[in-house]
Parts: sequence; structure tokens; C-alpha cells
Amino acid sequence: MSDASRPNAFLRSLSRYFPLYLMLIPALVYLTVFCYVPMWGARLAFMDFSFIGKHTWVGLKHFRTLFSSPAFGAVIANTLIISAMKIFINFPMPIILALMLAEIRSRKFARVVQSVIYLPHFLSWVVISGIFLNLLSLDQGAVNRIIVFFGGKAFPFLTQGTSIRWVFVFSEMWRSIGWDSLLFIAAINRINPDVFEAAVMDGAGTFRRIFSITIPAIMPTIITVFILNLGFFMNAGFDQVFNMMNDAVLSRVDILDTYVYRLGLQNGEFSYATAAGLFKGVIGLFLIFGTHFGSKRLTGKGVW
Amino acid sequence: MKKVFVLVIAILAILVPAFSQAKVPEIRVISKDFYPTDPDNLTHIANIQKAFRAKTGLDIKITLLNAPEGSYPEKLNLMLLSGDIPDIIYFQGNDEAISNQGMLADLRPYVEKSEWFRKAMLPFNVKRLQNYPFIVWLAPPRLNTPAIRSDWFAKWGGKIPNTVDDYYAMLKKFVTSDYDGNGKIDSIGLTDTGNTARIDFLFNHAFGLTTTWLKDASGKFVYSKVSEFEKNKLAFYQKLYKEGILDKDYITTKWDGMEDKLYTARIGMVVGTPGLVTDIYETKMAKAGKGNEYLVICPPAKGIAQGFTVDVSKESRGYAISAFSKNKDLAWKLLDFMASNEGQLLDRLGVEGVHYVKKDGKIVLTEKFGSWYPRFSEVVGWKGPVDVLGKGGRESLAMAVKYATVEDINFVVPKDLAPAWDACSNVYKEWSFKFISGEYGMDKFADFTKAWYAAGGDKVTEYANKILK
Repeated sequence: MSDASRPNAFLRSLSRYFPLYLMLIPALVYLTVFCYVPMWGARLAFMDFSFIGKHTWVGLKHFRTLFSSPAFGAVIANTLIISAMKIFINFPMPIILALMLAEIRSRKFARVVQSVIYLPHFLSWVVISGIFLNLLSLDQGAVNRIIVFFGGKAFPFLTQGTSIRWVFVFSEMWRSIGWDSLLFIAAINRINPDVFEAAVMDGAGTFRRIFSITIPAIMPTIITVFILNLGFFMNAGFDQVFNMMNDAVLSRVDILDTYVYRLGLQNGEFSYATAAGLFKGVIGLFLIFGTHFGSKRLTGKGVW
Repeated sequence: MKKVFVLVIAILAILVPAFSQAKVPEIRVISKDFYPTDPDNLTHIANIQKAFRAKTGLDIKITLLNAPEGSYPEKLNLMLLSGDIPDIIYFQGNDEAISNQGMLADLRPYVEKSEWFRKAMLPFNVKRLQNYPFIVWLAPPRLNTPAIRSDWFAKWGGKIPNTVDDYYAMLKKFVTSDYDGNGKIDSIGLTDTGNTARIDFLFNHAFGLTTTWLKDASGKFVYSKVSEFEKNKLAFYQKLYKEGILDKDYITTKWDGMEDKLYTARIGMVVGTPGLVTDIYETKMAKAGKGNEYLVICPPAKGIAQGFTVDVSKESRGYAISAFSKNKDLAWKLLDFMASNEGQLLDRLGVEGVHYVKKDGKIVLTEKFGSWYPRFSEVVGWKGPVDVLGKGGRESLAMAVKYATVEDINFVVPKDLAPAWDACSNVYKEWSFKFISGEYGMDKFADFTKAWYAAGGDKVTEYANKILK
């Protein structure tokens, strides 16, 4: 298509899909107001914030403070480890769940299961952490009571550096697996049923159908979701960690967000907090671009 | 002519009050949980306005503001950051960042010329104002006093514990007896909420931890938590933990969990805020039990020393006046008035007909009084027409005042040292639990102090030795 014809094509598309474009407007307004306009505020990372008068330009001062903090290395390491555990362990789970749900023959039962597993997504982390703290309590928790009942020794799940990260992974899985499977269920439902019927007639079993038809068909969705998840790699889950952490495991669970919260928001060091937030955003951006181009090169598929 | 005259009178009747109302100066107030959405708060404000006029002859319009949803200290700062700065601001911490920006008025001249406020201040309030003149707060010292369930206390023998050994003997008996009567030996002595801050009030002085910074043999200041005194205290806590006296779940217990364990007789003792809070514990405990339980208030443990330390570096919470307020004098007059007898009468008793009623000229507190607390100030020693505190509240306050004898040696950590202070504080938090839980033996204490200094404690100690005298 020549450059001259592009505006005409856009106008034709606009006229043809006008209601859809209209529906896009609220999302664009939202993104502009809450995502793009605040980016202007990111310049605070290079300034000393002042309530009165103008902010003072200080260059990389806040980044230097951030990187020279004795705890910063551990905080970054915790963020990366917890994020990696969540992504690499939790990411396949909704896909497996969606594949399992697609194989349930009773549609009614599948719908009931879907509804039940969505529910935890609507609980806040305050509630979920309360549930897990009670379940895993050393003295009174149901899990430890069962362990003790069968002759074992109560295990301090919440106060051991090694186990608390797994508690994060599994509580996140419990909360999100149902909700996150929605996209994959939708992608599976888009596959033409004739393909499955033909495969059955050719003698393909359940696993053969899954590996040869379903997974290849939903692969673009899997890759897109994976790349977008990587964009949030530096978000190890503030709400979850903040509500479930305790003093005994600080060095193993203190992530970038909780660190920024303590030093930035609690102490009112807004510039410092902005510097840390910007650092996190830049890493996220690199991860998205890196994974997108890596995926393009390896599989030919990417986010765009 | 008559019609015109009537019309002019009618217009004046409408306009004159409108103009006169517009002249009443407005004081905008923001405070935690003191929001205009609660009708009781609005009635309270109306009563204050009326009494303020009667006492001072000045008109005032007090407007309560809603804080943004979320954690008050952080949301308040974000609200101020947006440029919406009320005349009177209640801070619950996080105020240094605001005062550093010159946004808060120096309150020393106002206190100096106050009629009632100055007289209501306790010595520690005076010191705090000298050290940090931007926040004032009239309330009992924020300490924690030990309190024992009366039913367990009676079964134990009814002797008020005094020394560390007394406390140990009593708590040991709690966990080796079936005082809750459930047929099992499964009781806990005491708990805390996420760290040992509460029980430290009970044992710190006994182990020699009388101030935050202590002088060592060479005359240099050392942070108390890396001293030998701390080592001995942690060894004692380790023993309490091992023997089940200290709750195994104290590190993950929150304040509501602690209360629940007290009310359901899982623990025999709490260390809590004296005054109103102790009253609330007592009321809820009696409601959950047979109805006749109360709290026996005890002194801090006696050992090397006995007492509570009062931090005088600054008020940890309280009211400030905006440096940009056009009505600073009036805003102060309001805070001053609330410290007067008339102000206290309103602030301590709540709303007539809701929190108290008058019967035969006498004030009788209603059941709803239990949910009321002073919105502005709680003058220690104020004598009202009726006891606003229960037995536990009164006794715990008296205990706090009696033993709050030592002024802390401490300072506000400057913002340049904030990352170092955060890092070394976290080292203490984590290592102290490992010692208490027995994961680390006390022979590793030297490793802990090394880690604490390496994490930034060396910088903070250097600063402490520069500014402390």
C-alpha cells in the first residue's frame, strides 16, 4: 500500500469499525491519564523534591544513594529470585489447568470448577495472608497440626528463609491460577472442533491431541502472555510480600517495592522512591524488548 | 412605601446573617479516623465551636477533612504533596519529611503564650517540644505496661511479680498448669506483635537497657541493641521461647491476634498501652469470659534497674499547624482551648445523649462510651465529673507515670543515614528472632554485632558519638 493511500485506508477502517473505535476511547483516556501523564513526574528521580518552590536538579544523586545502600544488593536479589520462582513455576500452571478443563466432558462440571477456582482472585492479600498465616502457624496452624498428628515435627514455614519464598509461590498460585487460565481457555475455545474430530478419527489420543493441536494453536497466546509477564518481572508482588513478611525472614523477602515503601513513602523521601521506581520500570522495559526480540528470532512470534 | 420597606427588611434579613456567617474564620482539620462522615464527629465539632465561643468570645468554623483511603501516615503526606494543606494536621509519624520542607509552624511561641496548653504539658512534652518544635501532643507517655488476667493471677497465688525471677516463676506456672480449664497443658505465658517491642518495656531496664544509646567503658556511645545487656536479654527470651512461655507465633502475631489470645485465655499476660487501651482489653476480656475477669496491672521487672524509658527526642505523633495557614493564631487557640477544662470535658466525654447521659444532674456513661476516645488531647491528671477510665485504665496509667523515670538518650536519624539505619535495623530484627527461636546460639552474638556494624551501624554510631552528649 502506498503512503498516500494510508490515511484513506484508516478513514475507511474508522468508518467501518466506528463503534469499536468508540469503545477504545475510555481505555486510551485511562492509559493517557494514569500511565503516560505520570511519566512526566518521573523527572523527580533526578531532583530534590520540594513542597515549597521549585525542585532542585541533583542529577543521579538518588540513584547513587540507592545503589550504595548496603541493603540494595540483597533487595534486588530477593526481587529477582521471588519473581523468577513465581514466573517459572506459576506461569505453566494456568495453561495446564486450561488444558485439563478443556478435556472435561461435562460442560456443566467444567463451568462449576472454573467458577470455584476464580474465586480466590477476588480476595485481597490481607485476607489471603490471614488465611495462610493461620494455616501455617507453628503452634496452632492446621498444616502443622496434621504433621504433628502423623508423628512429624512442626515446621516453621513462615519464619524460615527457605520456606517463606515457597509460601509466596504457592499462595500466589492458589490465588491466580483460575483467573490466569481464562485467556488460555478462550484461546482453546477458538480452535476449530473439526480439527479435534479429525484427529480422533485418525486415532490420536488425549495427549497426542494436546501436544499436536492444542498447544501449537495457543502458542501465540502463551508467548504473548509470557512476554507481558516478564514486563512485570521486577514486580515481585508488593501486596503479597508486605502482608506475609515478618522480621524473621527480612533478608530473604525484602523486595524492591517493600524497600521503596519503607524508605520512600514512610519517610517521605519521594525523590528516592521515584528513582527506585524508575529503575524498576527501565529494567521491565528492557525485559519486554529483550524477550520480544528473542522470541521473534527463535519462534517468529512476539508481542507485535 | 410600606411594601418597599418590608422588602428591604426581608433582603437584609437574608443577607446580613449570610455575610456575618461568611466572616467566621474557618479552620480546616485533618486527623486520623476523625472524619466528617461520622455524625458523632460533626456533633462533637458543633459542641466545640459553641463552647469555644463561650470561653474565648471568638467565632470559629471547624471543618473536618477526609484523608485519602489507605494507611493514614502515607496518604496524609500524599495529600499534602498535592498542595491541599489544612490548617491543623494530625501526624502519626512520617512528619520529618514535611517539617524539613518548612511546611510546619514552630509551635514554641504559641505554647509559651498559651493559657491552658503549657500547664497541661508533662516534663517529657516540654523536652520533646524543645527538640522538635513542630508537633504537640497531650497524652500519657506511650509506654506499654504489663497486665495479667485476674483469673490466672488468682490461681497462681495473687502475688504481684516484681523481679525478673518473679515474672519467670509466674509465667512458668502459667504454661505448666491448666488455668484455662480445657483439660490440656497448652497455655502460653505471653506474646508480642511481630517483634519484642512490647515485652521489651517489661524487661529492658532489668537487663540494663535503660536508654537507646548507652555509654561503654571508654565513654563512647554504643547502640543498646548491640551491647552485652542486649545479649543477656535475648538469652533470657530464648529461654522463654524454648519453654513455651513466649508464644512461638509471636513473630507473625498481629495486634488483633494478640488480643484474641488474651480474650480466649490462650495467654495469661499482655504488655499493652496504658489508659484507654487497657480499659478496652479489660471490657472485651470480660465479655468473652464469665464477665468478672479484669486485668491486674504490674510494674516493669526489676533487675539491674527498674522503670520505663521515655523518648524525648520528639513527639511520635500529634498536632501541627501549617506554616501557610492564614489563621495560625486561631488554629492554636483551638488546640489551646481543647487543653482547657471545658475542652477536655467535651473531648473526654464525647457527645451527650450518645456517649453519656445526664441523670438527676449527674453524668452517666453509656455503653457507647466504650467506643469514644479524645479527638484532640488527653490531659494527664485531668479530673472530670465522672471517671472516664475503668480500674485497669487508671491503674495502668498510674503505673506508667510512676515508672516512666528515665529520659531516653536518642536522636532523630538524619535522612542521609536513613538507608544505613534501615539496613542495620533489619539485621537486628532478623538476628534477634534467630537468637530467640534458638536457631542461633548466643555464641554467635559477636557475629551479629559485626553484621550490624557492617550493614551501616558503623556510620550511625559515628554520627551518634558526634551529636550525643
